[in-house]
Amino acid sequence: MDNFSILSKTINGIVIFMPKGYVNDLGAENLEHACEEFLSKEMKKVVINFSEIQYINSIGASIFTGIVQKIAEHDGMLCFTNMKKVHSDVFEMLGITRHVKVFKEEKDAVNFLKESD
Amino acid sequence: MVEKRDITRLIFSISSLADLGQEVTSTKSFNERMKTALYVITGMFSVPKAALLLYNSNQQRLELLTHKGFKDTTWSNIHVTAKHIKSFSKNEPYNLSKVKTNSFYNPNTEALEKFHTKTFIPLFAKDEFVGAICLGKRLSRPSYLRSEKNVLKVVANQIAITLHNSSLFRRLTNKVNENKKLYENMRHIYNDTIKAFAAAIDAKDVYTKNHSFRVAKYAVAIAMELGWKEKDVEAIYVAGLLHDIGKITIDRGVINKGEDLSVAELNEIKRHPQISYDILSKINFPWKDLVHFVKHHHERIDGRGYPDSLQGEELSDGVKILAIADAFDAMTTDRPYRKKLSLTEALHEVKKCLGTQFDSRISNVFFRVLQKEIKGETKEAQILPHLDKGFDPKVITTLLETITAELSA
Repeated sequence: MDNFSILSKTINGIVIFMPKGYVNDLGAENLEHACEEFLSKEMKKVVINFSEIQYINSIGASIFTGIVQKIAEHDGMLCFTNMKKVHSDVFEMLGITRHVKVFKEEKDAVNFLKESD
Repeated sequence: MVEKRDITRLIFSISSLADLGQEVTSTKSFNERMKTALYVITGMFSVPKAALLLYNSNQQRLELLTHKGFKDTTWSNIHVTAKHIKSFSKNEPYNLSKVKTNSFYNPNTEALEKFHTKTFIPLFAKDEFVGAICLGKRLSRPSYLRSEKNVLKVVANQIAITLHNSSLFRRLTNKVNENKKLYENMRHIYNDTIKAFAAAIDAKDVYTKNHSFRVAKYAVAIAMELGWKEKDVEAIYVAGLLHDIGKITIDRGVINKGEDLSVAELNEIKRHPQISYDILSKINFPWKDLVHFVKHHHERIDGRGYPDSLQGEELSDGVKILAIADAFDAMTTDRPYRKKLSLTEALHEVKKCLGTQFDSRISNVFFRVLQKEIKGETKEAQILPHLDKGFDPKVITTLLETITAELSA
């Protein structure tokens, strides 16, 4: 848990998360809980910036799977940005990227979500 | 030709199996280990909703152990009969849409749907049904590839073994606790029986009501002050309760006669430690020294005691403790041949007999305990409650301080 932390900010009603470190244990569930909290406030446009994520294992994949599901249940929109190839390959293989928009840069995702109104 | 995605899948599967192995063998609590194991599976196969269920064989039902992705956890139970278990393939994933007409699915439709179950995996460790995994809809393709099914089977097998081991451990712990309770009950019965014996011994002598009980208490107080281990303290306690058991065989008239005992009668009374020993040595006590404490509680430091005229260091601490505890209670209670001594008189008497009847070191400990009890420095007083309340604590404390100072000099 010491190896994982989350920074978040909002731009024009868009929630941007920047998780940092290792997404490899139940401590990373905090990201899912943070998403739920914004969803409960009707903030349904979410960006997750992967640039500071070092490692994702199956437990981490499970947590992202949960986030995808929750945003879908709230008819929200989810974007992933700044993904390392190793992460995008795994997420593609798991079918997670079918349910999210993937962008190279955070600003691209923010622009996309702004325009989606 | 192997596709890049297949290699990614293979590496991810191997890495996830390693995660699973690490998690199920970690030092985390059982529930946390099982939750993490379920997260490994849901991550491996991108399943947002899943549940891990434990089989309750008494109730013949699956009960929720942990879950992922549900808010409402007021679950219905899934009923599993012996017939169902027989029909399950061990650790094989079932696509529920293909078995909707079978005897397991029909009565459990509501519960399985609450779990959003698309895939049901019955968990078996060896031949024992231990639980099940319910997997919801995947984010990727709805069905599982053959290779994925194989991985699921490996994962299921590992979780089943963990559940089984945990269940064995729980059963073992329950058995240990059960045995502990039985042991405690036996100990109570045992202690009550010994106390009953002590009461029977004391009932024989009209003057010595509760004598054995008090001797036991005094002996415990001294042994504890000496820092004896709990088991040894217990030995001296039981020795105190039973030290006069030999009196049971001596004529009541002789015991209660008091003065003017003939030599033959005196010798008869003096036989009681040996008779106590003969009776108690037939019992397999957990304390090997107990019978010796009892046999020699009338021995003296100067060798003029009975039955074996032991002296000095031939006497163990247990014997010395019992000797002073017994004599002190005799001094402070009425006897057929004299009135009881006051506490001051009794302490002077003990002091007078140091080095002849009583051991100085053990007597000093006895004085120290009494001092502590008078000052309220002990958790529970063992001696004081049984003495007459008419003494002046200041006078006794001064007397005890003087005696202990002399002994320490």
